[in-house]
Amino acid sequence: MKRPSRKPSAVFAATLAAVAMSQDVLADATYDALKSQVESLQKQLREVKDQLDAQEKDTTDKEVAELRNRVEQVSAQSEEWKNADSVVHLAGYGDFSYTDGDNQNGALSAVRFNPIFHYQYRDLIMLEAELELEVDETGGTTNNLEYLTVDLFVNDNLALLGGRFLSPIGQFRQNFHPSWINKLPTAPPGFGHDQAAPVSETGLQARGGFPLGGESRFINYALYAGNGPILEIVGNEIEAIEAEGRTSNDDDEAVFGGRIGILPLPRLELGLSGATGKVAGEDEPDATRSYRVFGADLAYQWRSLRLRGEYIEQKVGSEASSAAPDSAKWQAWYTQASYRFAPTGWEGVVRYGDYDSPHDSSDQKQWAVGVNYLFAANAMAKLAYNFNDGANGSAADDDGFQVQFAYGF
Amino acid sequence: MNRITAPKISNLIPAVYLGLTVAAGFAAAPAGAAEASGDILARGAKSWSENCSRCHEMRDPMEFRDDLWRPIVTHMRVRAGLTGTQQREILAFLQSANNRAAEPRKVSTDRAVQGASAKSAQTGADIYQQTCVACHGQNGTGSVPGAPDFTATDGPLAKDDGVLLRHITEGFKTPGSPMAMPPKGGNPALGAADIQRVLTYLREQFGGASR
Repeated sequence: MKRPSRKPSAVFAATLAAVAMSQDVLADATYDALKSQVESLQKQLREVKDQLDAQEKDTTDKEVAELRNRVEQVSAQSEEWKNADSVVHLAGYGDFSYTDGDNQNGALSAVRFNPIFHYQYRDLIMLEAELELEVDETGGTTNNLEYLTVDLFVNDNLALLGGRFLSPIGQFRQNFHPSWINKLPTAPPGFGHDQAAPVSETGLQARGGFPLGGESRFINYALYAGNGPILEIVGNEIEAIEAEGRTSNDDDEAVFGGRIGILPLPRLELGLSGATGKVAGEDEPDATRSYRVFGADLAYQWRSLRLRGEYIEQKVGSEASSAAPDSAKWQAWYTQASYRFAPTGWEGVVRYGDYDSPHDSSDQKQWAVGVNYLFAANAMAKLAYNFNDGANGSAADDDGFQVQFAYGF
Repeated sequence: MNRITAPKISNLIPAVYLGLTVAAGFAAAPAGAAEASGDILARGAKSWSENCSRCHEMRDPMEFRDDLWRPIVTHMRVRAGLTGTQQREILAFLQSANNRAAEPRKVSTDRAVQGASAKSAQTGADIYQQTCVACHGQNGTGSVPGAPDFTATDGPLAKDDGVLLRHITEGFKTPGSPMAMPPKGGNPALGAADIQRVLTYLREQFGGASR
């Protein structure tokens, strides 16, 4: 019997088919495995990405929150000063001067620093104080409390002041004397210390203003009661009247006074001042005598032109029980014009003053002319020459010039 | 027996006055109005220009911060005998006028923006009287040192409208002047149309056609 033969081609084909089948099976398995791995990796990748996103979002949110918090803190802090009940402020002025003239050697004659302190509580109270520190001839430093008041603002028209205050008599001593304001390096004759114009007072003061119909018209006033001045008596003469806010009142008599200013037009102020009371000598408190003060002042500005004028007199009556029984009078007046050549910083100023006192050697008539340069509204260089007319041979008769630099802050 | 002497009438006057005034009550208004109206700022600017220069040179509103102006103006109230109302109005003006622009701002020519203040009833003359007259004066020649003369042929009105609008809006310091004009004359309530109207008024009143 003949065995059936198989053809090689068929076997090969079958083998190929088998191999192909096995390869397909193998390929499917590999593919599935790889696919699974890829999917797994993708999943892991997504998880990692999600974690990173979450982490990043968390970090960003935190940073934003921190930043917002920080901004709010800074914003709140930056607003604090606007809403603070108490405010502290330092102002003041300083100057130095060079003087030369007849019968004197040229010298840097004055170096002064006047810090002014303001402490304000709401719109209710303010403490104001000014010191004057000045280098003296020996190189030492003198200091003086120019004024210190506690101001209570009662209402829109009244402030009550207590302490040592600049005398409300006239304008120069209370408003015009600071070197960055005064257009000349010197005070007008008679308006210095221990002369015709009272400098300061220790006591109580009421001051304020009232509208006078119309926005630009109003009245200002100052009324005070204080310890008053004291007389310096040498021999049988009154040497000087010391009207500088003392904290003692040897004669046990108060002085009452004040000033009323009227502003009928914008930039025009007319003032009348007066005071009355008793005064006594330093070493004779029981020998009291009458004390009268009268003052009138004017200030006007038209564009760059400023006009100022002032008259003040202090009188004391006679007193038989005093070592210096005669009455005495100190009077002084000045008028001043200054013009700024805007828009430049140059300014010209001229002033005439006259001072009469019980002592002829102190009397003085003075023409003062000056040229200023304003570096700023609060910084001024001044060059001035004083033509003085006084008793022959006295210092009041010596002419001289001054250079001063003043800065207010 | 000691006699009781009657106090002098003259000595009682201050006491009576103080008693009556104090009895009227503490009526001081709170510090710093939160929102100062244009009228308050205008009155403040006027009081500032008329009263501060009574004693000293005008200080630039931009010289001090808001908080520092407060004690300074309070101190000036005492010195100058101002009323509390004047004090608050001057303070409001100074605090409004002392803001320096961080960077120059462009004057908007957008009609929509200009229209924002176009409904204002104020004429150029009203605005000038309210905001500008304190320093520039009724006749435009300036009433405070450093304020320029609008009537001068080579004065500010010789400049182009665009320049003037920018100066009014952003503030401007005339060379050599001791102080700068604050932005919008210190009245932030003014809009672009207000500023255009006041410029037109300046040209009509003090000469010079639009450029």
